[in-house]
Amino acid sequence: MQAGLLDTYRKPTLTRGALAWALSAVLSAFYLVLYFTEALTPVARATGLGDKWTLYGFLYTVAMVAGGVYFLRRHGNSRYERIRTIVVVAVQVVLAFALPIVMKVFGAREYYFSYFWPLKIEYLYPSVILSHPFLIVAWSFVGSLVAFPVLAWFLGKRFYCSWVCGCGGLANTAGEPFRHLSDKSEAAWKVEKVSVYLVLAIAVAATVVVWANWAVGSRHPAFASFAFAVQKWYGFAIGAMFAGVLGVGLYPLMGTRVWCRFGCPMAAMLGIIQRFGRFRITVKKDMCIACGNCSTYCEMGIDVRSYAMANQDVRRAACVGCGMCAHLCPRGVLKLENRPVRLKAGQPIRVYAAGP
Amino acid sequence: MHYAILGNGVAGMEAALALRRRDAKARISLISDEHDFFYSRPALMYVFCGQLDLRGTEPYERSSYDRMRLERVRARVGALDAGRRTLAFDDGRPLAYDRLLLAAGSRAREGSWPGTKGPGVHAFVTLRDMEALDRDARPGRRAVVIGGGLIGVEVAEVLLRRGVSVTFVIRESWYFPLALDAQESQVVAEHMRAHGCDVRLGVNVTEIARDGDGRVRSVRLEDGGEVPCDVVVVAIGVVPNTGFLAASGLRLSSGGAIEVDDALRTSAPDVWAAGDCANVTWADGSRRPEQLWYTARDQGRVAARSMSGEDVTYRRGTWYNSAKFFDLEWTTVGHVPALLNWDNTPLDPGPAYRSVFERVPDRPVTWRIVLEGDRVAGFNMLGGRWNHEVLRAWVEEERTLDWVRAHLDEARFDEELGGPVRAGR
Repeated sequence: MQAGLLDTYRKPTLTRGALAWALSAVLSAFYLVLYFTEALTPVARATGLGDKWTLYGFLYTVAMVAGGVYFLRRHGNSRYERIRTIVVVAVQVVLAFALPIVMKVFGAREYYFSYFWPLKIEYLYPSVILSHPFLIVAWSFVGSLVAFPVLAWFLGKRFYCSWVCGCGGLANTAGEPFRHLSDKSEAAWKVEKVSVYLVLAIAVAATVVVWANWAVGSRHPAFASFAFAVQKWYGFAIGAMFAGVLGVGLYPLMGTRVWCRFGCPMAAMLGIIQRFGRFRITVKKDMCIACGNCSTYCEMGIDVRSYAMANQDVRRAACVGCGMCAHLCPRGVLKLENRPVRLKAGQPIRVYAAGP
Repeated sequence: MHYAILGNGVAGMEAALALRRRDAKARISLISDEHDFFYSRPALMYVFCGQLDLRGTEPYERSSYDRMRLERVRARVGALDAGRRTLAFDDGRPLAYDRLLLAAGSRAREGSWPGTKGPGVHAFVTLRDMEALDRDARPGRRAVVIGGGLIGVEVAEVLLRRGVSVTFVIRESWYFPLALDAQESQVVAEHMRAHGCDVRLGVNVTEIARDGDGRVRSVRLEDGGEVPCDVVVVAIGVVPNTGFLAASGLRLSSGGAIEVDDALRTSAPDVWAAGDCANVTWADGSRRPEQLWYTARDQGRVAARSMSGEDVTYRRGTWYNSAKFFDLEWTTVGHVPALLNWDNTPLDPGPAYRSVFERVPDRPVTWRIVLEGDRVAGFNMLGGRWNHEVLRAWVEEERTLDWVRAHLDEARFDEELGGPVRAGR
């Protein structure tokens, strides 16, 4: 067993007890106050952090650093988990927190180099593109449209979702105690397949509308107000309510990756590429003892065990490659891999019988 | 056609699924007095320590039983009347079947020491065993685990994690001699001791002493020692769960296992047996039950084919097994002979036996390659992850030691970025 997971199912906060609901309410309330009021602005000024978003970034980074230490104490015995966690926390501290502040100090407009369209949808909006230096715009375009698809094909979406992204970073550090709460039912998978691609479609459509408005909006005032509404509505419904209020607010009830799994358009886009790319979780044949550690601790709600029992490699668009299934498997059945599946010339193809 | 399957462990469940795949219309009844749904028995240790909930150990969603039309009967079977094709439940109700699979599994072997009967003495095989131990093994208490096998080490681990102090009393002079040699066992024992487990090797228990109120007070040992404790877990093996067959006329082995032929048919018409309770022929010609998850699974599948009229033969292929001793993973493939008798006399593995053992310096990582003549016959790998399929192919291809050593890295299955660990040569 993994020492840190002792009594997970005996703690009311970790099994949807009253305290878990209270914590969920507090987290949701925090995000509502942050997004829709200025109550945090005086706090930010008093602490010298300037505005509420910098204060939020500070709190977020502190949560990730503290959560990262907590995670390493729990799972640092795996080299993959250790390196991954150090990287994702470092990206948050440097690219998503320190660098934007430094940019502001030097009078430049802040920019989060670890976020890209379509997760940060406005980074391909004309308003952002036209107001930033060429190199930043190039970073944004090349990242979203060239580098990310290529990386996802070779490495799987994990290179972003588990190694870089702040949403995933918070989930896998401060959110770590709640990872087992993800819904593994087939019903949840059905909902996920509709919702996550729907959000991606909406994100693409919203981006097209905003660009169309930039091109022809001045001549069509009705379209201009429609485009403005789309932009605003997307920011409210997807950006604030789904990613923030629900995404983090539901940690104690539905696990840490509610947004990543059901909503994130970046996860959807990279997932499609991953599904046909090299990344998979290789299953060692006929070795699974069906214990359920992999499925229970899969934050994306993938029933990994069903693949292991069927001797089938896991190739799922949802998998964020956190590696926890392989780490916790007591029989070493699972292995995250992106080596090409290739047969050496002259080598006989071995067909292993799958049981009698 | 009504298939009745007695036991919803891995053998029974695999058989039910295989029968359903072959026959969409048949009536299939799954009978168990333990739990309403198939759960993973090897996962009991994780439920005990709260890492998993029982529901999480059930591989199939509860709603899928209705979808697959697997009727579940929660009852204990009292008797089998094979002539009338009828099972009788303990409460008197009968269940008529056309074809029956006995996959009743096994229960813990009981100790024969004075003081064994009564409160405070536990086993760790069934859900009821786990629940009883859960109530009794409170943090701060002292436990003695008796028995040097796989269940013993799992119980010792989860008790320790829970804050119960553990003395692990092992009859043999090294731990798990059925599968490990003295050097490997030494590594495992060091590892257990590093986790705070008090490992006592080569000692026999003589008595479980109780106080005036009947509570467990200590375990007395043959060497005159006495280990004070509050809880005892007896993990000295399992016996077939076949008491209800006493009057059935079915042929049983002297150990109580159900005699089956190569197609897993019992001595009675239309009755098959699979899993821990079936007495099968081993590669060396001996007849014993195979008390293992993997073989129970495979036997369940073969039994289903046999029951649906196919001409099949159950044969276990090249041997493999895996386990985990606290944090040490273990994989074995092929022929790795036991080197110690239960009475601590050495076992002769034969003149052709030779083995190469390597240990990574200062780490609990070892591998042993067993040779027969100049061909590799088996592997015993401790502390790392290995792909048994690759190792198995090498055994079947009768590779030489030099070839295997040159290719060993191809069989590694460590976590990504785990990096290969090499032994000094």
